Amino acid sequence: MRRAAAAVLALCLAAQSALAQGYEERRRRLIEKTARVADDRLGYGHIAARLWLREGVPAAERRLRELLEGDISGDMFWMFPMTAISYLDRGQLSDATRALIQRSWKRYYPFRGDTENHWLLYYTSMYLMAQKWPELGGEAWFNGKSSKENMEEARRWIEGWVRLTTTRGQGEYDCTHYIGVYLLPLSYLAAWAEDPRIRKQASMMIEWVTADFAAESLDGIYVGAHARTDDRQVVEKAAGVSSDFAWLLFGQGRETPPYGGYAVFYAMADGPEPPEILRRIATDRSRPYTHFEKKRTRNRWRFHDELHGPVYKTTYMTKDYAVSSDQGGVLQPVQQHSWDVTWRLDHPEGRHNTLFSLHPYSGMTELEAYFTFSPDFGTEAVYRSKVTYDSPDKLLGGSPYERIAQSEDAVVALYDIPAGTRFPHINGFFSKDLEEFEEDSSGWILCRGGRAWIAYRPLAPYVWKPIEGGGRRLFSPYLKNGTVVQAASADEFPTLEAFRKAIRALKLEFRLEPKPRVTFRTLRGRTLEFAYGETPRIDGRPLDYAGWPAFGGPFLNAKAGEPRLVMTHGGVRRILDFRTLTVLEEKIPAPKQAGRTQGD
Amino acid sequence: MRVLVWIAALAVCAHAEHRLHALGVTTKGWVVGAALLPGGVFIRQSSGEWVNAGYRHPLMTALAWLPGEPETLYVAAGDGVIRIDAAGRWRVLTDETVTELQDISAGPGGIIAFGHTAGFRISEDRGQSWREIAAGLPRRYGKAIRIDRTNPDRIVVGTETGFYVSSDRGRAWRLAGAAGFQAMRVEQSPHEARLWLAVTQKGGVFRSTDGGLTFEATPRDPAAGRNLYDIAFDPTDARRIAVCGWGLGVLVSEDGGLTWEARHRGLPRLDVWSVAFDPDRPGRLYASVHEEALYVSEDAGRTWRVEGLPGSIVLKMAFVPVRGGAR
Repeated sequence: MRRAAAAVLALCLAAQSALAQGYEERRRRLIEKTARVADDRLGYGHIAARLWLREGVPAAERRLRELLEGDISGDMFWMFPMTAISYLDRGQLSDATRALIQRSWKRYYPFRGDTENHWLLYYTSMYLMAQKWPELGGEAWFNGKSSKENMEEARRWIEGWVRLTTTRGQGEYDCTHYIGVYLLPLSYLAAWAEDPRIRKQASMMIEWVTADFAAESLDGIYVGAHARTDDRQVVEKAAGVSSDFAWLLFGQGRETPPYGGYAVFYAMADGPEPPEILRRIATDRSRPYTHFEKKRTRNRWRFHDELHGPVYKTTYMTKDYAVSSDQGGVLQPVQQHSWDVTWRLDHPEGRHNTLFSLHPYSGMTELEAYFTFSPDFGTEAVYRSKVTYDSPDKLLGGSPYERIAQSEDAVVALYDIPAGTRFPHINGFFSKDLEEFEEDSSGWILCRGGRAWIAYRPLAPYVWKPIEGGGRRLFSPYLKNGTVVQAASADEFPTLEAFRKAIRALKLEFRLEPKPRVTFRTLRGRTLEFAYGETPRIDGRPLDYAGWPAFGGPFLNAKAGEPRLVMTHGGVRRILDFRTLTVLEEKIPAPKQAGRTQGD
Repeated sequence: MRVLVWIAALAVCAHAEHRLHALGVTTKGWVVGAALLPGGVFIRQSSGEWVNAGYRHPLMTALAWLPGEPETLYVAAGDGVIRIDAAGRWRVLTDETVTELQDISAGPGGIIAFGHTAGFRISEDRGQSWREIAAGLPRRYGKAIRIDRTNPDRIVVGTETGFYVSSDRGRAWRLAGAAGFQAMRVEQSPHEARLWLAVTQKGGVFRSTDGGLTFEATPRDPAAGRNLYDIAFDPTDARRIAVCGWGLGVLVSEDGGLTWEARHRGLPRLDVWSVAFDPDRPGRLYASVHEEALYVSEDAGRTWRVEGLPGSIVLKMAFVPVRGGAR
């Protein structure tokens, strides 16, 4: 008991200490921890850290030579640490080692990969290494292209990606893991590109990606709908690389473990501390707000007329919890997460602080749309690396048979699953860390997570199944199905009984035939009407998908199609304009920060 | 070093008129995060040994060479068209605008064309420059492509909605057949230029006898409802053709594609990616069996034995003429 109390105290002190530390201190601490590895166990990241610190370099260089003289692998995940090592060299490595590094870009053929994060890593590395050796001909490079050709191709792709992302949204949007894979190469370009335009563009994109996260960060946890997350991070919300960055950039949450991956490389590339306005946006949860975003799907190679489809996100944020969703459907293959309630905990490590439902879809239509897999081997090819993809018990992934509507902290998810579909049921995730759990006779399931009350209304009968690792799964084997969720703060309802009374008083009408349809009067006094396959209506007005902003809310605003992001907090406004590559920060009269709802 | 391996590979098999190339990866036993096992271009030596020539590469789907210039290969790969010259030097001929190439074809006059995830491209200068030719196609997933070997203006392509033909090098297209079926592969007979064969997902085998202008479903098609991956015309027998697919093994026709017979006795499983007839050994047929190995038959598929490349996925095989050998 005493030991547990001491551990809690230590954690509290560590958290306080993170806030007290400045960014530079956190950054250095991260790099120092990374460098502290036995000489014979050094990997590329550790070697880079020693070069950054200018400590223990002889052993690092010996180990680097061993690695490069061995069997190289890793594709773009080899390229980015090699790029860091080359730029952190700063006169510390011998000419012979530098020559060995250069030869390795001929000896080894790194594959470009098939996702945007792969390509950003690949082209950033190509750009910077070609910049380092500008006169090399094609005979010196694995791909037979000269430095000039490689650099120009990389520049074209990077600039095209920036244009696409700042006008139509990120394709791998709001990823708990891949946010790091975007911030890392951008930090390289901001630090090491000689072309001031590339440097400026990259530093603005770092702000853009960080702002995107900051507005949906609940005390350092990336909430809500994600293009990609994974089996662990979808339930243990603090386990993402995003939380590493929340600690590094804003001093929130936990300290990144030693060799914490992408955050370390960001730190070593002198990745910038976010401007004060972003720190405020990431941390100010003094008033609830609704935040909208428009993103795009991953490249859809088949079955669609357009390469990218729209993603409409809604996030409701409070100091105690957040509710977030997309519109449903398959927007990303395999690792999509479409909606959830996430609650804040003082110490979320190892805790499953979220609740959601999904249809566990697995099918070649999804895989063939987004991948070039063959029809017979595609599913197996996926589940060899994404082991739960073809599991009926899975808690990760979008479904073509799910549609979602949200109004503030109320969500309705409807399911209309064709007969014969693989895994014809709904999974609801109920965490091991929920408290005061009750199945009310009204049909609502009431529970508390942290300081969030959550009411979950299954629209079809269900049974409970255990989840390995704790918690239980609501299993509902009905093809026409649905979930209605309403969240609230413990500040509003001091007891479960008070919350139950309020929920029971809410008007809820639904039917499942011929298609699922719900009318729900929310706790916030809105009427949410939603039928599967139709545009949701809030207080009688259909959601305006056509006018959905790239960013919309009290903190971030941008029109879809316009590469101009306005960040606002308190009396300050900061504008990133990618058309002119300018950043403007100015004082303005304090704006109203009341919550906003689509249709207002 | 890679160049030396490549030259040695060519030298050792120089006495044959063709050398068998296999594009694939070794996947069996591989776990995510581990270093890649051998993959890319495999060349069979006369000793029977296979050499993984050049770099290891995880995704190569097809290869082609210009008529009379087999010493230079053009490979459709995950990251573009890779040109491999006689010295084994690699050069990526495409840029950031294409990815995950599905097929490639070469024709007279230095014409090369390939299919990629969002269309088809053609080069009329040996890959120095490329022109997108998918405008006018209803959907652009570029799965299959062949340039007519007798008329380089005519190109047949396969997309997710069927096969299409152009008579002006891709400026205009019209539906040729297999409407509504995802294309998998299209090939032209080396004997009779008007005979073409096309295979699909679920739709079976389609046959053209008018030079690729129209494709008709074959009657009593044993492959209907299955996914077919490859087609091989036998260079030594004008009437013999093989196709392969998933759950089907190898089907062989002895009447120019009108009727088919299953020939998979001795294959360890019926999931076959690619087939190729040996132009120098009548009746010799190779089949790549999913994650098992390459298999060879000396009697046009009636019996099979293991040939090599254990644990591999070989997506495409081709017999490439040896310099100074047969053309």
